[in-house]
Formats: sequence, structure tokens, C-alpha cells
Amino acid sequence: MTIRTKHHFSLFKLFCTGTALAAVLGLIVIFSGMVLYPSFNDLIDCLLSEEIRFAITLSMVTALISTFLCAVIAIPAAYSMTRFDFFGKEAANILLNLPLSLPPLVAGIALLIFFSPVLSPFGSFLASIGINIVYTSAAIVIAQFFVNTPYMIRSLRSSFAMVNPRYEHTARTLGCSEWNTFVQVTLPMAKSGLIAGIVITWSKAMGEFGAVLMFAGAIAMKTETLPMALFINMTTGDIEKSVAAAIILLVISAVVLVVVEHFGKDKGVEYV
Amino acid sequence: MSEKGNADRGVSENCLTIENFSITLGDFKAENLNLKVNAGEYCIIIGPTGAGKTILLETIAGIHRLKTGRIYLHGRDITDMPPELRGIGIVYQDYMLFPHMTIGDNIAFGLKQRGVSREERVRKTAEIANKLGIGHLLGRYPQTLSGGEKQRAAIARAVILRPKVLLLDEPLSALDNTTRESLRRELKKLHNEMHTTIIHITHHFEDIYSLADRVVVMREGSIIQCGSVDEVVRKPDSRFIADFTGMENVFSGICTPAGNEAAEIDIDGLKIYAVSERIGDVNVGIRPEELIISKEKLTSSARNSVRGEVIKITDNGIFSKIAVAEEISGTVFTAALTKQSIESMNIGIGDTVYLTFKATAVHVF
Repeated sequence: MTIRTKHHFSLFKLFCTGTALAAVLGLIVIFSGMVLYPSFNDLIDCLLSEEIRFAITLSMVTALISTFLCAVIAIPAAYSMTRFDFFGKEAANILLNLPLSLPPLVAGIALLIFFSPVLSPFGSFLASIGINIVYTSAAIVIAQFFVNTPYMIRSLRSSFAMVNPRYEHTARTLGCSEWNTFVQVTLPMAKSGLIAGIVITWSKAMGEFGAVLMFAGAIAMKTETLPMALFINMTTGDIEKSVAAAIILLVISAVVLVVVEHFGKDKGVEYV
Repeated sequence: MSEKGNADRGVSENCLTIENFSITLGDFKAENLNLKVNAGEYCIIIGPTGAGKTILLETIAGIHRLKTGRIYLHGRDITDMPPELRGIGIVYQDYMLFPHMTIGDNIAFGLKQRGVSREERVRKTAEIANKLGIGHLLGRYPQTLSGGEKQRAAIARAVILRPKVLLLDEPLSALDNTTRESLRRELKKLHNEMHTTIIHITHHFEDIYSLADRVVVMREGSIIQCGSVDEVVRKPDSRFIADFTGMENVFSGICTPAGNEAAEIDIDGLKIYAVSERIGDVNVGIRPEELIISKEKLTSSARNSVRGEVIKITDNGIFSKIAVAEEISGTVFTAALTKQSIESMNIGIGDTVYLTFKATAVHVF
């Protein structure tokens, strides 16, 4: 709850509020411009086209798998970084934050070189046993996973930090093992933050562009996720299809925002 | 205090022994701490913030690892035993009730971990909840309860497992006066019925008098005094303890109602007035600064006026303390005065003076 005080007329207040409203208006105008650009029938046609349906399915599936993998790594890692002291924790902290400021393109090219059958020993080993990752849907999953895991660790850390460790201490004295305490007390108490973190990670995976472009390529009907569909159709001049892909990404963002808002609020429960 | 002590209960068996306890946690350090607590004893730990009281408790519970030293429970070395196997319960000041569980599920949590059957859990939960007066709250969630109710639930959750030692970390500190008073009585009742060994951290002076068999004073990671209530509070080892307890005029007496919320307290023949509804054996405390000292009898609205002889004047910097032996009972009162007032009133040892104080200044507990 914010307390709003009644002000007398103030030019300063008018200026600041005016700027805020102008920014919101700008967002609305620009996005409605995009949404309204294609005719309704064209838009429906595009949304139902084989290419866009392929892109939706591919994005959904790769994002689900990569988010699941992110969570598998991020939940224990984030918990450990919140609760335990270990050798190299400071360094790990800095390294894990690096990808947050790093352009995903850089992560993409690093992955490309690491998995390349010609450029790296690991890649050639994989090739020798018949596994090729580069420019496949597996590369999409790996790219999304690689870029999003540090982000998810960071987000889950703050969720775990919200749970006072004394809840866990109490559970232990009541006969609960470390594992059971985590499952029965910590996870349920961090649930809201975990769900919010997972949903955001999923939507970030859906929209991942740079790393996927470098590592999985922009191959129509093969590694064509929604952002790739937007990009490919733009380069071929098929603006309606680009817009269709963009609108889906926009809707997903909006839904995620609502979900995060809902779970982020903790419904008035004080856990600390 | 000795009449409710160990001798009476016939317990002297050693329950918990801490030997050469050393621990480093962040900025906190404790070195070479030793403590023995007898079975069934109610042990109270006092000390300023940062003394390491909570860390000591959590280490006894098995949360933190010792750097050196051993902990024995009934003769068994539990130093490396995980908390879930120790049979030691803990209750914190801020309850720590699991917010995603009902009060009933919270109380039954420990039984569930032990694989106790559902019927048995329900029966035992209801039994302990009714005993603590929260039987009607079992279906509610913690966030809808008052502080006192939450703390009762937290205590129920710990004692339902019949712990060998119950650790209480300022369990009454977050509560209002009335609730604190009633929960304190509840703790005393529980202790008398269950004979659990209790180690209780407090900042409240009254807890010591009403509950403790033994008082441990901690400061900066060490135990600076350990003994019976009398030893620690009336014969404090250091100024620190006297300052910490703050109330120098502590006496035992017999309280009888004197109408209109007032009470007459007989202290070895000296009668003073207080505001209390208590009857029978009580302790009273009067802060030194509440005593007005004068050479002539004062006419004021204050109900208490006693006459005595100045037996000692101690200089404590800004304030000086004057010890006055009351003429009927010999009870020694301590008053605090500035040096200037003592000089201007020309008070010296052997002088007869009057001490005047309000009935509301007499703290009954």
C-alpha cells in the first residue's frame, strides 16, 4: 500500500506524471500498431499456417525441456548458494552472474565451438559416436538451458533466501532428515518464488534468439522457433508471418506477467 | 527458590554436559565453554545480545558443528549426531510454525516423521493442544493466530515428542505482558508435569524468578556465571549481571489483597503496598531510581514510606548508590542519586533517612 498525499498544483509533479503516462501511451500505440498491422483474416491464416504451428510447437517443447533441465540444476545450486559456505563460493557467484550481462550471441558462439565436430575435441568425440548437436533442435534446448540456468539460479536464490533457516532447524529437531526438510518445508515455503522463477525462465526460453541463432541456426522448418520464424520471415519479406510470431510472443509475455504478479505477491503470507 | 529446586524433586542425574565447547560462526566466536545441566532442571540463560546464547542452543540441538569439544546427553556422546536423532526440541521467539500447514499438522509434524499412525497422531495432537488451550485452533493456519496462540502451538509441537531436552529461545519475548504472564505459568505447569529438562533464553527478569532452578549468564561467547537464582541475582559476580537484571531491590514476601486492586506485602515484618492481584508467596522488585530519599518524612501521594539507616554509599560515576537498612526488618534497599543531590542533602553513613515510593513502582512477580 502506498500512501498518496494530496498535493497542490505542482509543475514538477505534472512533468513526472506526464512523462510516465507518455511512456505507457507509447507502448500501447507501438504494440497496437503491430497487432493491427495485418488484416484479421491474414493474421488468422498466418497463425494457422504450417510454419507458424511448427514454430509454436518447437518453441513450446524446447522451452519446456530446457526449463526442466534449468530447474534440475538451479534448485539445488541456488539452495546451496543461499545456505552453505563452500570453497570458491565468491568466485562461483561472480561467474554465475556473468551470463546475465553477457550478450547471448557470445554464449551461442562459445557453444558452437564447444560442440563443433571440426573445431573441438569434445565435438569430434560426439561425432565419432554418431551424435551431432550443432544446428539441431537439441542445440536449441542446450542454448536455452545454457543462457537461462544462471538467471534461474539467481531468481531461485532470492526465493530460498526468503525462507528463514530456523524453519529448517525446527523441522530437523522434530525428526526430519535434511532431504525431507527440503521437500516438506523449504520447497513448499519457497513455492511462490519457484513458480514465478520457472515461468519467467520458460518465457525467456521461448524468446531466446541470439544463442539459438548461433548454435542451432535459423533453418526453416527445422530449428525454426518463434523468434526464428519472426527473423526468417522478416528477411524474406513475409511481414504478416513475422507479425504473427511476434504477437504470439507478446501474448506469452503478457500471460507470464500476470502469472508472476499473482505468485509474486505471496498472498500476504509472512514466511521470514 | 531452593524449595522448588532439584533437591525437592530428587533429581541430580546429569542430563546434558557440554565440555570445552568452541565454535566459530561468521563473526561469532565461543571458546572453551563448559556447562552441566541436571535432568529435569529448568535452566535459564541470560546475557546481552550477541553473547552467543542462540548459537549455544542451536549447537546443542545439532544445527551447528563444534570446532572442538564434546556434547553428552545422558552420558552418550551426541557431538556428531544429526539433529533429527538427538531428541532435543527447540522453540524460537518467532514461533517458526510452518505457514503451509494447519496448526494440527504443525503439532503432528514430528509424530508424522516418526511414522506414527494417523489415529494416534490425531489423538495425541488433540490431547496436547487441549492441555495448552488451543484445541479449537487445530484446523486454522498459523497466520490467522495471535502471538500467544502461535507460541502455544510451537510449544505443543515440540513437547508432543517428549524431548529429552527442550530448548526455548526467548519464547515469551514477542508477547504482550498479559499473554507472557499466562504462558509463563503454562511453561511452569508443563515443566512440573513432564519433568523435561529445559534450557530457556530470556531477557525477562521475571522468568528467572518464576521458572529457573539455575541461571547461566553469558557474555561474548563465554559463561560468566552459573548458579542458583539467589547466587546469580542477589550475589552477582559482576556489575554486568547487576546491571543486566537492573532491579536491585528484590525481596520475597507474602502478598495479601488490600482492596481496590492494591496489595499489602509483608517482607519479614515490613509492610509495603503494591498494585497486584496476587495472593501468597511473591517476589517484589523496585528499581533504585524509583526510591525517593529524604531526611524528613515526605508528605506525598506515594503510598510507601520506610525509615532506615544509611549503611553504605557507593560511587558509580554519575550516580551514587545508597544502601539503606530498614529499621524493622533490616531489609536493605538501594537507592540511586546523583552525587550533587547527596552533597546538597548532606547524607552520610549512619544517618536516618526516609525512602518514599509509589505502590505502582513495586514490581510483583
